[in-house]
Amino acid sequence: VAAVLGISAHYHDAAAALVIDGNIVAAIQEERLSRVKNDASLPLRAARACLSIGGVAAGALDEIVFYENPYARLERVLVSLLRAYPRGLRQFPRAIGAQLGRKLWVLDELAEGLAVPRQRVTHGAHHRSHAASAFFCSPFERAAVLTVDGVGERASTEVWLGEGRDLTSLGAIDYPHSLGLFYAAITAYLGFEVNEGEYKVMGLAAFGEPRFREEFSRLLRLFPDGSFELDLGFFGFATDTELGFGPALEALLGPRRAPGRPWALGPGEPDQRWADVAATAQLVLEEAMLGLARRARALTGAASLCLAGGVALNAVANRRLQAEAGFEQVFVQPAAGDAGAALGAAVLAALARGDRRPAPLVSASLGAAIDDDDARSMARELGLATSNPDDWAGSVAELVEQGKVVALARGRFEWGPRALGQRSLLASPRDASMRERINRVVKRREPFRPFAPAVLAGDAASFFEGAPSLLTPFMTTVCQVLPAARPSLGATTHVDGSARVQTVTAGSSPELGEVLEALGRRGLPRAVLNTSLNGPGEPICASAADAIGFFVAHPVDALMVGNTLVRRPPR
Amino acid sequence: MEHELALPSPPPKKASRAAALAASGAEAPPPRPGAELRAAVARAVAPLAFGNTRRAARKLRGFARAEQGSMLDLRLAAARSPSAARRALYLRHALDEARHARMLARRAAEVEAGREPSGLSLDREPPDSPDDGERAGPEAPSSGSAAREGDVRADSEGLFEGLGEVGFLAFVYVGEGRGRAQFAAYSAYFGGRGDERMRAMFAALVEDEARHEAYTWRLLVELCGGERAARASVRRALRWEAWRTWRRAGKAIAELAYGALMGALYLLLWPLAVLVRRRLPERRGWGPGEEA
Repeated sequence: VAAVLGISAHYHDAAAALVIDGNIVAAIQEERLSRVKNDASLPLRAARACLSIGGVAAGALDEIVFYENPYARLERVLVSLLRAYPRGLRQFPRAIGAQLGRKLWVLDELAEGLAVPRQRVTHGAHHRSHAASAFFCSPFERAAVLTVDGVGERASTEVWLGEGRDLTSLGAIDYPHSLGLFYAAITAYLGFEVNEGEYKVMGLAAFGEPRFREEFSRLLRLFPDGSFELDLGFFGFATDTELGFGPALEALLGPRRAPGRPWALGPGEPDQRWADVAATAQLVLEEAMLGLARRARALTGAASLCLAGGVALNAVANRRLQAEAGFEQVFVQPAAGDAGAALGAAVLAALARGDRRPAPLVSASLGAAIDDDDARSMARELGLATSNPDDWAGSVAELVEQGKVVALARGRFEWGPRALGQRSLLASPRDASMRERINRVVKRREPFRPFAPAVLAGDAASFFEGAPSLLTPFMTTVCQVLPAARPSLGATTHVDGSARVQTVTAGSSPELGEVLEALGRRGLPRAVLNTSLNGPGEPICASAADAIGFFVAHPVDALMVGNTLVRRPPR
Repeated sequence: MEHELALPSPPPKKASRAAALAASGAEAPPPRPGAELRAAVARAVAPLAFGNTRRAARKLRGFARAEQGSMLDLRLAAARSPSAARRALYLRHALDEARHARMLARRAAEVEAGREPSGLSLDREPPDSPDDGERAGPEAPSSGSAAREGDVRADSEGLFEGLGEVGFLAFVYVGEGRGRAQFAAYSAYFGGRGDERMRAMFAALVEDEARHEAYTWRLLVELCGGERAARASVRRALRWEAWRTWRRAGKAIAELAYGALMGALYLLLWPLAVLVRRRLPERRGWGPGEEA
């Protein structure tokens, strides 16, 4: 019986997760509280918020566990820079400064920041933490586990066998050969921000043709045993960490795209070449992932697969793994990136202390709840028009039916990068014009980015092929929209006929479930466009103040925050 | 396009500092020589700071980052203040700062790209361009990603947590006063050059800064229990800020020295580099996994 706090930090997406007596009590990304997108700083706010939710004082924690080994990480950084000698000259002061200046002392910083004895602060291992976050949150007793990201202490990719309470490593591929870094370099090449723009590459890929296969076969070689190798002459991981690629890549694929320029896609349009590059990169990544998954299947003989690491957030690749890798079921926990490793580290430490394995994760609602009094008083102080409808879900459904865009902030906020109904923007999924309106006016983001539909799990088969599955509650896969359902999902069907569907049950997203039921009572299809409640470049809202701030600053029609409905006055 | 909801009790248009203070019900604090000195410096260096597109863009980006950082601190204050009324004021202020940051960043991108400004004002962001819309068939995306030029990255200084609410307010009050004086100087500079867009942008910023200065002074007086104590807190904020500037300067110098030393050290490590390449060659393909 233990209280364990897991922490990830200092690279991207810092997070804290609290496990008490084997139960996952809370898990929060620092960005939600600091309001800094992809905040990597030591997540003391998130840690304190988790402790507050769990009703535990920091001093009462049995263990605080950092998700990776900072000493092994330093060794790898040093060795990489020496291997790159003398090309690592520019990176050396920066990289070693970051390690010695802060990252190496993270365990001491945690002890000091949370005022706990240093001996209670320990560390795990990067890929083991990832693997634990996937396997121990899954419903499987036995599964192959694949962790694929940029880089951990040393490895970029690792295969595991998960059985009961154990995880056994079966092999790894080391940095610098990394699918995460490969995709990140292409993300930078296409003018997007690394660690943020990877979703955009995935969305853009559907607009292109994979006509650069030959060129990409020089960048990334795939082998029959599932392993892969990058041609490092095209990349610059040790010499230019911001871009991650070198002039040779531009010589091969053409000039990189300048960030921030408007997009013009279509035959003959100037940006089509970059869409084709995105399509090829996506296809090559999928094939590499399939090779890894087949290797994992061969090594373990398991019927199920768990995925973790940043690459596991590639929903399009996940669909192919589910369909083609030979596994019966695939599971990806909602915070599959580095944030999620905080949860894995905490679960591992709890298991090592003899606690039971957590129940399968069915809901991502692991953050802080909306404070209803705070919502009311904040809205009142700002002079906003509010009401408290008896049937809040019915009111939201009515607004959606009227073609309004409604912000919904109720319940505990989500764990991971997806808004799953607790901090969401909801709208009718029917007309494609709604996608245009939200992309251009509300979210102000690239117009090729699709929106997700949310449907009740029981209705999913009437809208999509292959839904529901273990992936669909957390939006970690895509499904083809059935032809008959396309007229009712015009705003959420991507150009290739797919949709990143979320299936909803009373257990997974109760708030969204109520809205969908209310839509059904109004005689409408039980489906809604669901996108995250945040403005461009901002983290998803967490508190009532965040939601009200969003409402004031963005042209949405209404906000349901807690039990308070805020309406925009008629113009 | 931005459609920010007009909250009740908007600031008076064309408000001077005195008018904003009068509207807030607070008496004006004595003028601070530091702020006026900064304004004089701003006037003097404006031709240099905005002398070419690269420097102008860098300057505007610097302002955008400062506004974004201020927004983050205000958001944290809006989450932490015990008073609902003050939380609402901080939130309102944070929204202004976010708008300023986007506007300045977008203007920086326009200046850098040599584009004509897109009609920015503080009340509205640029209208959608006429070529927005579906360009090559029903599934082809429209343009519009230029909006991303308004994204700004900054970090919070944790001022509310570090200084407490009074210290935080005093710091914000000082910063707003400085910003007002500086932006007024730039507005006058661009007015003199006949650059109406830039003049109007800075003039609009001055209005907001004056309003922020007024309300933070009023809150400071309230929280401190009188003007005398409020002035003392402002003096403390100025001292803290001077200390921070000193530390930042020291850090910048130390970083330069560190970079040079580490660069030299790296070059001296060539025997180790040779050893590493021989003894620890890069591993390809599958190998054993890593353990804790």
